[in-house]
Amino acid sequence: MQRRQFIMLGLGAGVGLSLGLTLYPVLQSSTQQRSDAATLVLDALLPALLQGALPAEAAAQQAALRRSRDAVLQFLPFLPRRQQAELQQLFLLLQQRLGQLALLGHWLSLNEMPLQSRLQLLSSWRDSYLDTLQQAYHGLRELLYGAYYGQPQHWPALKYQPLEFNPYV
Amino acid sequence: MYDPIAEGLTRGWRHIDASTLTTDQTFDTDVVIIGTGAGGGIAAELLTQAGFKVLMLEHGALYSSSDFRQQERWAYPQLYQDGAGRKTKDQAISILQGRTVGGSTTVNWTTSIRTPANTLKYWEQQFGLDFASSGALEPFLDLATGRLNISEWALTPNHNNGALQRGCQALGWQYTVIHRNVKGCANTGYCGMGCPLNAKQSMLVTTIPVALDGGATLISRVSARELVWRGNQIQELWAVPVDAQFQTDPRLKIRIRARHYVLAGGAINSPALLLRSKVPDPSGRLGKHTYLHPSVISGALFAEAVNGHQGAPQSIYSDQFVWPEAAQAGFKLEVPPLHPVLMASKLTGMAEAHADLMRQFNHLQVMIALLRDGFHPEAQGGAVQLDSDGEPQLDYPLTDYLWDGVRRAYLAMAELQFAAGAAAVLPVHDDAQMYRSWSQAKAAIAELPLQRYRATLASAHVMGGCNMSADPATGVVDSFGRHQQLKNLTVCDGSILPSSLGANPQLTIYALSWRICTELIKKLSV
Repeated sequence: MQRRQFIMLGLGAGVGLSLGLTLYPVLQSSTQQRSDAATLVLDALLPALLQGALPAEAAAQQAALRRSRDAVLQFLPFLPRRQQAELQQLFLLLQQRLGQLALLGHWLSLNEMPLQSRLQLLSSWRDSYLDTLQQAYHGLRELLYGAYYGQPQHWPALKYQPLEFNPYV
Repeated sequence: MYDPIAEGLTRGWRHIDASTLTTDQTFDTDVVIIGTGAGGGIAAELLTQAGFKVLMLEHGALYSSSDFRQQERWAYPQLYQDGAGRKTKDQAISILQGRTVGGSTTVNWTTSIRTPANTLKYWEQQFGLDFASSGALEPFLDLATGRLNISEWALTPNHNNGALQRGCQALGWQYTVIHRNVKGCANTGYCGMGCPLNAKQSMLVTTIPVALDGGATLISRVSARELVWRGNQIQELWAVPVDAQFQTDPRLKIRIRARHYVLAGGAINSPALLLRSKVPDPSGRLGKHTYLHPSVISGALFAEAVNGHQGAPQSIYSDQFVWPEAAQAGFKLEVPPLHPVLMASKLTGMAEAHADLMRQFNHLQVMIALLRDGFHPEAQGGAVQLDSDGEPQLDYPLTDYLWDGVRRAYLAMAELQFAAGAAAVLPVHDDAQMYRSWSQAKAAIAELPLQRYRATLASAHVMGGCNMSADPATGVVDSFGRHQQLKNLTVCDGSILPSSLGANPQLTIYALSWRICTELIKKLSV
């Protein structure tokens, strides 16, 4: 096993085991900390998941990522409070674990992690023996893709042209 | 454009948005109806017309055709339970349920199917419900069919449904043209986001306006929290407003005292209210045996455009495999409407592979196979449980019996899609690939590991949890929806079904509710 793969598996397993144990990080965190963690993790995962879908031009790409992240954050409060807490816990744990890896010198920050490594992290969750990690993979994936493809600016690539009886404002 | 809700409100309908209340409230009424979907809507019209003072409660908001936006990013959070993010406890099955005035009837795909004879026979054998031999449900199926303008879809199926029809024709498989509850339908394809033309004959535009015109009161954005009971009587109902995201907001209390309580919150929320209220449950079946029609998905690429978002979402189904002779899980074949959020979140893969699939969006044809659960010892459904907030979650076990049905469903859908002319077929499963021939797909599907999370599963039909039975030992309510222990409580929604149906449930729920309320009116009129 390559060293990087080992790190990714360790990261995934650590998060998975922590998710199964306690809501401690959520209870101890402030609203600002939770929001920062969600933003950090979403900003890291969206460019990886959306490879191939994002516009090529840099400014358009950044706008698409920002729209998608904002759409996720706006949608989260509609989920049951139980699910919101689980997601917040995932974001906080990921932020903490990644912070530890950064301290060990693997990456300076999550945003410096190569996109392929981020995808590798998600793949390791999907293929994990831990239910919590598989749930995290599918839950995040659905949220993030739903947020991106819910935006009309991203529909031209699909050639999806819905009727509009009442404009969305 | 004509908006019957806006006009009714102008005429003076009694509607209270509970989120705007600032002080505790108390209401006295003859009948309170909790939930405004297929069961609650029918109850509201019939009870109001019978002269009773009726109060309707709805967790969701009162939206109308003027409010509906033809975009999933608006529709899912505003019109669906948990923003369309409801899932089973283990998160293996997504559950689509409406949460707005009109309930799921406001967002369903209009498919209207009479209760299958085999299902009624099973209920008679297992639960002593004599609908099959007495024909007691038939007049009410007819009444609902007339009231909601249910008739066979006369236009050509869209290409998504057309592929299902063509595949059945090529293979000699059974198929049926679907009956829909529409009037003046323009064949646009936005049923799942609220009909913008008021063509869908949902509760929102049919029975609820009649009830409101008749003097009923509607409270929207309110969550029923507890039935207070003593002996065999409910004394009052406690409720609270919900906030802008439909979360309970216990800053004030709403008390409702009624002569009779009609519970119609759907097959997850109705049992949840009864569980929160700790009502008697001697049969041990309250919140148990909850069925989902767990649905398996198969995508296919066609050379020609499919444009599955255009046209009536469902106009063809196949019952070729619903009632197998062997003791196997049967499944019904249908198609869903194809819109970007639903597709992107359900299709498997990530990054380039996912993006490539989405670029072929308009050439994607998608089928679903709805497993008929509830007819076998290994398909006894799930259990509604309460979390620490008192909110429901459904623990639904996936058994070997069901997984065998999943594999056979993947096979049937792939065979049909190739027979219809697909260039490639993709079973929606994490380990599946795009297969270019039926033989290749057949061999690969046989080897797919069938376990939760690998196979994408979804449900749009929740049934059971307060099941009817002639015997109080095996049911929560009797065949007239009367609670076996609490004498002023009637349940009329999908929760009373003793099994899944093997068919889309709205017409069955309309008919059962009509029958239940006809009997209730007799009782209350004495």
